[in-house]
Amino acid sequence: MQKFTVSFLGRDCPGVVSTVSTLLSNCSANITAATQSLLLGEFAGIFLVEVADDTVAAETLQQQLQEGLAKAEFDLSLIVRPTCEGAWGKNSHSEPFVVSADGQDGNGQIAAMSRVFSRHGVNIESLRAYLGDDAAKNHALFVFEVMVPESVDIGRLRRELLCEGQSLGLRVSVQHRDIFEAVNRIESI
Amino acid sequence: MLSDREVTNTLNMLRNEHLDVRTVTLGVSLFDCVSHDLELFIANIQAKIARYAQQLVPVCNEIGAKYGIPVVNKRISVSPIAVVAAPFGAEGMVRVCKALDYAAQEARVDFLGGFSALVEKGFANGDRALLESLPDALSQTERICSSINVASSKAGINMDAVRLMGEQIKRCALASPEGIACAKLVVFANIPQDVPFMAGAYLGIGEPDCVINVGVSGPGVVRKAIDRLLARGVNDKGNALTLLDMAEAIKRTAYKVTRVGEIIGTEVAQRLGIPFGVADLSLAPTPAVGDSVGEIFQSLGLSSIGAPGSTAVLAMINDAVKKGGSFASSSVGGLSGAFIPVSEDSSIEEAARSGFLGMEKLEAMTSVCSVGLDMIAIPGDTEASSIAGIIADEMAIGMINNKTTAVRVIPVPGKGVGDTVSFGGLLGQATIMAVPKGDASRFIALGGRIPAPINSLKN
Repeated sequence: MQKFTVSFLGRDCPGVVSTVSTLLSNCSANITAATQSLLLGEFAGIFLVEVADDTVAAETLQQQLQEGLAKAEFDLSLIVRPTCEGAWGKNSHSEPFVVSADGQDGNGQIAAMSRVFSRHGVNIESLRAYLGDDAAKNHALFVFEVMVPESVDIGRLRRELLCEGQSLGLRVSVQHRDIFEAVNRIESI
Repeated sequence: MLSDREVTNTLNMLRNEHLDVRTVTLGVSLFDCVSHDLELFIANIQAKIARYAQQLVPVCNEIGAKYGIPVVNKRISVSPIAVVAAPFGAEGMVRVCKALDYAAQEARVDFLGGFSALVEKGFANGDRALLESLPDALSQTERICSSINVASSKAGINMDAVRLMGEQIKRCALASPEGIACAKLVVFANIPQDVPFMAGAYLGIGEPDCVINVGVSGPGVVRKAIDRLLARGVNDKGNALTLLDMAEAIKRTAYKVTRVGEIIGTEVAQRLGIPFGVADLSLAPTPAVGDSVGEIFQSLGLSSIGAPGSTAVLAMINDAVKKGGSFASSSVGGLSGAFIPVSEDSSIEEAARSGFLGMEKLEAMTSVCSVGLDMIAIPGDTEASSIAGIIADEMAIGMINNKTTAVRVIPVPGKGVGDTVSFGGLLGQATIMAVPKGDASRFIALGGRIPAPINSLKN
């Protein structure tokens, strides 16, 4: 049994998921996990698949899928990679935090904030960026959902993020994720 | 992954709507500190408070930083001093009060409550000593708060205590600049044993040896929730908004705010190795604009708090807060409702200054709010019997309606109706309010006890 990670990227329209999942099925690739998201009309989907035939290579699967997409007339970018076993931080204890930064939009802000995370060995699990509407033109909000390893000094990380935010003109807050769940969800945390 | 709405709503509550944990209050029982020797007793209480409170402030700060929710005040409540220091007389009570003040200072908390007596059915020796000591004790200390329970639905109203408190409030005012000692003194009916808010906090006799109680506020959050609903113009079903929708919005917001208190309170308690007691969600305003209970009345369509309809609005707010809080936590306690402290709320103070809100309307409103006549500056020359009469009226409302009521009035020496006084900080500023005319002296002088009410034949 082989495992592959297959990602699709392109303009969203009705039938995208149906097409890519049918193509995977036609290639005897069984979907074991999937996620998709939309950003301003752009579709991105990641599928973890299993292929029973041990002789199939990633390149072969990619070629088959690409031909299928062309035939179905869907303009999607495609990448197929063998799945790596294990995930970052799986064996270490980490705490989930939400770091939000908002202020006047500018070039390099996400890069600068991300460098702080990287320096501390903090993994970003989700990043969303929003630009304000007409009333708040150029006002940006960045929300990083991160996993902070137990070994990281959260006080120092917070200070560095606040400092970086200040230099970028951003107001930064660092909060444990539980508070967002506690406030918004009925399920016990 | 969190949804966009979950993130932005929570951030807005924190950044723009003054959401905070108003107080984490550490309750410490002092019953095992009792001694026949005053010095030994003082040493015992200081050692015990220091032992439990040593880590309170740093842990609160750390947990507050972790969740991005400021814990604004860290406080301590103790067993009623009139009971645990009963043998020591009035002078001894003052010494105890100073020792508690020192312990509070060492623990770096802003207030310590529990310089208290429960006298609804009569006085014990310790109660008399504590009441006698109040002017000296409260004027010579900074951080000590006192609560005196003079009435309950089961015992009735101790009118001797009411008379005495009228006199002592005047003495406390004269003994301190601008009568500020009175801001730390509150007279109760049906005082709860687990209030985390000052000046009413004390650790009841039925409470554990040590406990963490949390007071959460959030009038700004409630107001913004109503404003957002009004801006949308329709309810979830697309129908025109009614008060039912407003009550629902307040209830849901109260749920959210209480959850914040519970998560922080339980974690502080866990870190300190102390049981968690209650979350008290009370809309407790501060003088800051946007952190006002009075502004909620304006959002709900009244020109100002005090306008006709105010009692109905307050009843709705108070009930919705209790419902939301009760759903959010199995450990809701304390006062849990809406406070209407005049000097501490910029909008209420403005209404009082402009003449929209007087003592009579405030009294009516206290029949449906969670506390009572709170932080009201009155003329310095108000007769003690008039203050006692005001207390008696308020206690009657609490006794008959099986609810907590309280009186915290400040007869400001040298000031008359219309003058202003500034108490500073969270205590805010106030315009001196007129007290109802008439003479209560003969009624108050009768003393004795107003008996407890019958609990059937309710009409």
